[in-house]
Order: sequence, then C-alpha cells, then structure tokens
Amino acid sequence: MQPYLLSLLLFTPLLAALLSLFLPATSAATFRIITVVVNALQVVFLLVLLVNYQAGAGLQFVEMKPWITLNMGNWGILKASYFVGVDGLSLPLVSLAVFILFIATIASWKITQNVKGYFILLLILNAAIIGSFTALDFLLFYLFFEFMLLPMFFLIALWGGPKREYASIKFFLYTLLGSILILIVMIALYVSVHDPSTSGQLVHSFNLLHMADASNFISTSVLDPHRALQLGPFPARTWAFLLLFFGFAIKLPMVPVHTWLPDAHVEAPTPISVILAALLLKIGGYGLARIAFPIFPDAAFDLGWFVGLMGVISIIYGGLNAMASKDLKRLIAYSSVSHMGFVLLGLASFTAEGTAGAVYQMFSHGLISSMLFVLAGVLADRTNDRTISHYSGLAGKMPTYTAFILVAFFASLGLPGFSGFIAEIMVFLGAFKSAGLGGPLHESLAIIATLGLVIGAAYYLWTLQRMFFGPLHVKGEFSVDQLSDLNRREYFILLPLALAILFFGIFPQPLMSVIDPYAQHFAAFVLESGKSLTLNP
Amino acid sequence: MEDVAEQLSSIKASFILLGPELVLSTGIVVLVTLGLIKKIQRTTLTVMSALTFVLAIAVSFALIRAMTQESAALFGGMLRHDSFSSYLDLLIDISGLLTVAMTWRRQQEQRALSEYYALLLTITLGAHLLVMSVNLLMVFLSLEMVSLSSYALAGFAFSRKGTEGSLKYFLFGSVSSAAMLYGFSLLYGLTGTMDFASGEFTRHLISHPSPLFFIAAFLGLAGFLYKMAAAPLHPWAPDVYEAAPMPVIAFFAVVPKLAGLGVLTRFTLALYAYGQSSFDWQFVLSLVALLSLTVGNFSALWQKNAKRLMGYSSIAQSGFLLVGVAAFVPQGIHYMLFYASVYVVMNFLVFLYLQYFESLGFSTLESFAGSGKILVWPSVFLLVGFVALTGLPPTGGFTGKLFIFSSLWDAYQHSGKGVLLLLMIFGLLNTVVSLFYYLRIPFYAFVRSGEFNAKPNYLTFENLLGLILVLGVLYLFFNPGLLMGWINKINFVL
Repeated sequence: MQPYLLSLLLFTPLLAALLSLFLPATSAATFRIITVVVNALQVVFLLVLLVNYQAGAGLQFVEMKPWITLNMGNWGILKASYFVGVDGLSLPLVSLAVFILFIATIASWKITQNVKGYFILLLILNAAIIGSFTALDFLLFYLFFEFMLLPMFFLIALWGGPKREYASIKFFLYTLLGSILILIVMIALYVSVHDPSTSGQLVHSFNLLHMADASNFISTSVLDPHRALQLGPFPARTWAFLLLFFGFAIKLPMVPVHTWLPDAHVEAPTPISVILAALLLKIGGYGLARIAFPIFPDAAFDLGWFVGLMGVISIIYGGLNAMASKDLKRLIAYSSVSHMGFVLLGLASFTAEGTAGAVYQMFSHGLISSMLFVLAGVLADRTNDRTISHYSGLAGKMPTYTAFILVAFFASLGLPGFSGFIAEIMVFLGAFKSAGLGGPLHESLAIIATLGLVIGAAYYLWTLQRMFFGPLHVKGEFSVDQLSDLNRREYFILLPLALAILFFGIFPQPLMSVIDPYAQHFAAFVLESGKSLTLNP
Repeated sequence: MEDVAEQLSSIKASFILLGPELVLSTGIVVLVTLGLIKKIQRTTLTVMSALTFVLAIAVSFALIRAMTQESAALFGGMLRHDSFSSYLDLLIDISGLLTVAMTWRRQQEQRALSEYYALLLTITLGAHLLVMSVNLLMVFLSLEMVSLSSYALAGFAFSRKGTEGSLKYFLFGSVSSAAMLYGFSLLYGLTGTMDFASGEFTRHLISHPSPLFFIAAFLGLAGFLYKMAAAPLHPWAPDVYEAAPMPVIAFFAVVPKLAGLGVLTRFTLALYAYGQSSFDWQFVLSLVALLSLTVGNFSALWQKNAKRLMGYSSIAQSGFLLVGVAAFVPQGIHYMLFYASVYVVMNFLVFLYLQYFESLGFSTLESFAGSGKILVWPSVFLLVGFVALTGLPPTGGFTGKLFIFSSLWDAYQHSGKGVLLLLMIFGLLNTVVSLFYYLRIPFYAFVRSGEFNAKPNYLTFENLLGLILVLGVLYLFFNPGLLMGWINKINFVL
C-alpha cells in the first residue's frame, strides 16, 4: 500500500464522486455517509503516511508515472508526468487538509438542499486540494489548482447567502486571473527547461524539481538565469517572478488583491468558508514556497523587500479592516488577510526560522480560522444575523460557546500557549535576523509588523467585550430564546479543533521536526542561489 | 502528342487523390435529383447526406493511410494534396456529419430539405478545394463556392431576420471578395505567377520588396479573414448567427472557419518566405489575432441572446486559432490543428445543446433560469462545452490553448518581438474575460431559479451524442498524445 498512499488519498474522493453521480438523488443520507467514509479512509491513509514518514529525508512517497509525452520533432519532447510526493512543506498541509475536510463534512450535515450535488462537489474539491498539495509536476499542479475553481464557484453560488451570485463570480474571476498569470509563467518555464536525465533529443518537462535547478535552463531561453535578459525596466526573470507572485498572492490573499475574500466568506455556507480559509488560502502560500521562490530565487531575493513589505501591509491593513468590520464573518475574513501576511513576511526573510514560521502559520491558521468560521456559523444558524453590534452579553446565555470563542480569539491574536503564537514568533525571529544573515528584509519591517499583533489584540478583545460581556441583550429580527448553547454536533466539531490548537501551541516539537529540515534546506537554497545568481549575471 | 498523353495521365492520377471531393459532388447531384421527387421521405434525404459525409470521411481516411508522397500537385499545380489538407478535410467532413445529425434532431421542420443538404455539401466541397488551393484563381473560385452557398444557407430560417442576416453576410462577403480579388490581381502583376506556393512567387517577393506587395497581400488576406470571422472583417458574424438555424450556425462556426484558416496558413507562410520577407507578417497576424480576441470577447460580455453570444465567441476563437499561425514555427501549425480538432468537438457540443434548449423555448440568457435543476444532464454537458471553450482544465480546450501559446512563447524566444509577448499575455488574460460570458448560461441554469417545468427524458439521441462529445473533450485533455501523434505525422510543406 505504501508506494500508492498519495494516489489513494487523491483518488478515493474522485471515485466516490463518480459513484455518487450514479446514485439516485432521493436519499440524502447516502451521500453524507459516502463522504464521511471517504474522509475516514483518508484519515487512515494519512496515519499510515505519518507513521512511515521520515522527518528530514526530503521528498517521500514519490510516485512518478508518465502522463503526456509528445514528440514534436526538432523542437523536442513535451513531457508531463503524474508526479506526486510529500516533504516537510506539503506534509503538514496535507494533514491539515484531511483533518479540515473531515470537519467540513460534519459541518455540512445541515445542508438539506440538493444534497447530492453538494457532496459530489465537496468530494471533487477534496481531491483537488490534496492534489495541489502533493503535485510536483507543474501541469499536474495547475490541473488541480484550476480544478478547485468550478466546484468552489458552485458551492458558493448555490448554497451561499443572499449576495452569493456577486460573491461567487467575483471569486471565480479573481482566482482565474491569478491562475492565468501562473499559466503564462508555466508556459514560459517548461519551454525553457530541459530534463537533465535524458540525452539525445531535448525533453521539455513540467517537473518542478528540474525547474528549480538553474543549470537545467536552455541557454537560449529568455528565462535562463545565466543570461539575465532585460525586458523593459526589469530582468525577464523578475517579471516571471512577479507574475507568479501576484498569481499566488490573489489566492493568499494579499492586499490589494484580497477584495474577493471578504465577499466570498460572508456569502459562503459555513463548511465552505472553513475550507476556503483553512485550505484554499494555503495553496497561495504553498505555491510561493513550492514554485515561485525555488524557481526564481534570484528574483525573489531581489524583490524580497517588496514581498516582505506587501506582507506587512497585509498584516496592518487586514487588521485595521477587521477592526472596522460590522459583520462577524467579515471580521474573521479580514483577520485571515492579516494572518496570511505573516506567511509572506516569513518567506521573504530567507531564513530557516522565517520559513518554518510561515509553514507553521499556514498550518495553525488553518486550524484557527476553521474554528472561527464554525463559531460564526453557529451564531448565524441560530439567528441568521452576524452583525456584531446586535449582540451583547452572550457569555451568560451561551457559556460553552463563549469558552470556545475565547480559545479561538486568543489563539488568533497570538497568545502564548496557542499554535498561532509559535508561528508568529518564528516569523518575527526570521524577519529580525534576516538582515544579519544576508537576507533582504530590513529590521524596521519586523518592527512595523509587530503592530499587527496589537491591532489583532484590539479587535478581538473589543469584539469579546461588545458581544460576550456585559448585560445580555440583542437587537435585530430575532429573540434571545433562539440563542441556545452548542449542540452535540457542534461540540464534536469544535472540540478537536480547540484541542489541536492547544496541542500545537504547547508541543510544537512534533510538527516542527517535520517542518524544520525542510525550512533549513529551503532557506539555505534560496539564499545561496538567490545571491549567486544575482551576483553573476 | 506525348504532352497531351502526359497531361491526361496526370489528370487521371489527380482524380484518384480527389476521391472525397468526387464523393461530395456525387452526393450533391443525388440530393438535388432526389429533391425533385415530390413524395420523397425526409429521412431518405438525411440518410443520403449522412452517407455522403461518411463516405467522404472514409475515403479521406483511406487516402491518408495510402499516402506515399509528401505532397502531390493536382491539375497542373492548381491544387495541392498533402497531409495538411487531408487532415483539415477530415475535420470538415466530420463537422458536416455532425451538422446533419443536428438537423435530423431539429424539432422544426426544415423547408426545402434537399436543397439545404445540397448546400451543406456544396460548402463542404468548396471548403475542401479551398484548403487544397495553391493557385490564386483556384482560391478565389473555391472561396466563392463556399461563400455563395453560405449566403443562401444563412437565410434558411425563411424569416425576416434570416433574410437580413443573409443579406448582411452577402454584402460583407462581396466587398471582401472584391478586395481579395483586387489584391490577387496586383499580386499576379507583381510576381507574374498565379501559384503562390511556387519558388517564383517567393523569389519576387524577396527580390522586389515594394510597398505595393504589402497592400496587395493584405487585401488578399481580407477574403480569408472574412471567411474565418476574424477581426476586422467580423461584423457579419453575430447577425448571421442570430438569424440562421442552429445546425447552420454550428456548421458556419467550423467549416468556413477551418477552410479559411487552412488557406490563410498556406498563403501567409508563402508571404513569410521563411522570415525573408521584407514585411513583418508575424506582426500583422499577431495584431489580427489580438484584435479578434479582444473584439470577440469584450463584445460578447453584453449579449443577451445565446446565438449572438456564440457569434462573438466564434470571433474570439478565430483569434486563438490564428495565434498558432502567427507563431510561424513548425509546431505552431501542428498545435493549431490540435486546437482546431478540439474546437470542432467543443463547438458541436455547445451547439447541440443550445439547439436542444432552443427547442424547449430557451433562447435568451435569462430564459435559461432554473433549467439546470430540472434538465440536469443536458445542462452539465453544456457546462462542459462552455468550460472547454473558456479553456479550463480538465478539457481539451485547455490543452489546445496551452499548446498554442507554447509555440507562441517559442516564437518569442527566437525573435524577441514584443508584439508576440503582448499577444501571449493579452490572449491568455482574455480567458478571464471569456469566462464571464461563457459561464452566464450555466450560471442562469444552475444558480437562478425559474418557472420552467418538464419531465426530463435522458435517453435521447442528443444525450448519447453529447456524451460522446463530452468524453472526447475530456479525453483530449487526459491523453492528447494520441491525436498529437497523428497530427505530428503531418508533414507541412508549403
């Protein structure tokens, strides 16, 4: 089983989706059960994977099968493969995905309208997310990356809130724009790179590992790092990096291309919000760490200050927007923008600490934001109203709910003992050390970014005070009686999330031991090759 | 006397290679004759025309298999038979067959059915000849053969709108034909030869770079661009598309387009003269592609009628096809043929279901509201078609675009021309624009709720054919190697 673990993870949901397609739509329970069984199977596969994973041993569970091989005569051979594997970057994210998708399925239990369609789309989305995190062939990655869009679009457009049409189309257009930017670079890259393992006819491969090796570039290609071709104001490679950067930054999302996120979050049904925040955003950060930085380390190094600056702007601006939000879900959405800024800052530091912090932040934010969106969903389910100012003194009426809110809010604002703290402290460490180790970030950026923590504390504490403390009273078109405390299903969803957040806040070691070797290697590689390629044009 | 004998034997040899065209001509005669019989069954006519197309496909296929030499000049250099033309002919015949299938499934009875089928066959025959033409006169004759029949066919809805569309088509067509003829006569004067694929033509082109050459060739291009519905000679398309019967539009969106594309490829490659031409034809074609993409996509955004929308979509698709030619690299032509094949499949997929929905009373975009919840499978298949036209994975539309733009990037790497980079970036960004309108019908169908109510019957011919086309479009994504393997055997000789 071991050599096919990743394929099993990937194709089980697809097969289940195919099976569901041919079942009659009448019995809603069938589709829920199928999806839960798929999730449970994925957990089993993941456990086997985790047990057999050797930290620090690089890529593992690699599967490589030829997919497309076209012999184009003099031009060479076009080669794409089914190439998957996991390392210290993807393993935490794959684990997160399996865990969160399980949670999302449970949270979808209350979906009653067109259950068949919903769960089929959810299963397709499941496979696409796992695929994006494990693909090591650019074309395969792109397939999964785009394959997420259509199910997500329909999930928001069909099961979303009142302004779902606007939100879903905005989501689709923004993310498609991002993926087109990535597509442009993908085409330019695979034409420019040859497979070193073959001799004779030129083989243009989509293999991401080949692309990350500067010696594999064909010397006449525009993107050859040794040629350093100028295109207008910037070198060609800088342009390519910028396209990739903005392509992934839309997904991340980064200010100023973040505007689709609050709308999508506010309108999406709770489980979809959870997947969106916990997993889809991570693909932006993952893409930067897997594709943009290793393939264009020189351009990334040159623009490191810019990436860091955009990260800091996202942190501050996202935080300020969160503070100004009147809707609870919108507040959480903006806090996501703010937290994903740390990922940018960490990666841009070009240090092992910063990189590890960025990956840890992606993992931790996946847990925390899921919890936050589930909590917001709980309130919305009861009253259909998420306006912060309509609530006061909920702590007395909903004590268990408030306890979970406290955990989630404190985790999100970065209190020690919660997973967010570990991630952010590492990012700050990296950002402060960057300049000393020859990285591109100035200390001042790290200092400004710490302001983000203050803002985060401000909006969370303020919200706590407004909504949960003080005398109990509500406004709007609902009564206090509707505010019942958590039911068993909600409790069952929230408890594992809370426990995971606490566990990874108190014992970072298990996860760090996976991430750290990767982060060391990544930072050393991008810093080294970034500098050497820049210095010797 | 020996000369005559030689000529006769050459003509005899030419006729064998002209098998598919002879089949088509026979089909035309048979259909027109059958039309004279008063009580002829409609089914007989349909079967006859389908049979003609099947036979033409079979003969084309056999000819490709039996091809011994790279290319053969027929009738003293009037036509050229090579694997390029055979492949395009095959695509054209398959499109013809699919059109017959669509016509057969039309709810409304088609008036003058035998003439209708005869015209379809005539256009197909003209398209065959156009793709093979290397002589300017022959180009003009076959282009007119396609055009004149198209004008008549465009009005076959026998409605006021149909007449209007047909007349617009005719007026536009005659102007661009006139421009083309003028250009051709200048070219003849400048080179002294009608055969644009000959060495003489190229020699004159290189040795006497006069601005008149540019004007003449540019005017000549007008006729092809018009046939392809490429900007700036596109304005007829939406009107004709809106007014003509659905199978006719599906046919127009493929057959004249591919025929125009085929001859345009030959003609521009001759003009390009292996990069030795003193005029930058790459620049011209890139601009035309860019303009078609932009005009088509942006105009489509505001359309409310499904057929008009497809008219603008067809203009934009011409732009994508032209990208493959504009690259002027050998694999660009191969990739263009791949995209053309995918285009045939996705085009008919979309039109098949648009016709199906039209028969249920859906014509404006808004009217599709709620149909996706009742007619699930047809709507899903239509969605796949639109996703393919947008160019998203996992459909062949994506693979085609990926290939075409790869060759463009290659061309850019070789020449370093900014316009190619511009075409690449704007061409791909156009996908985002196109998504917005391609997704509108599925959006109304699935997301909006409507009052439409019907008991769906999924076991229909449409759904069988639709399923085949859907599987085809998906297959071309997951395994493009098979088709590309065939296309790669095409030896493109000018």
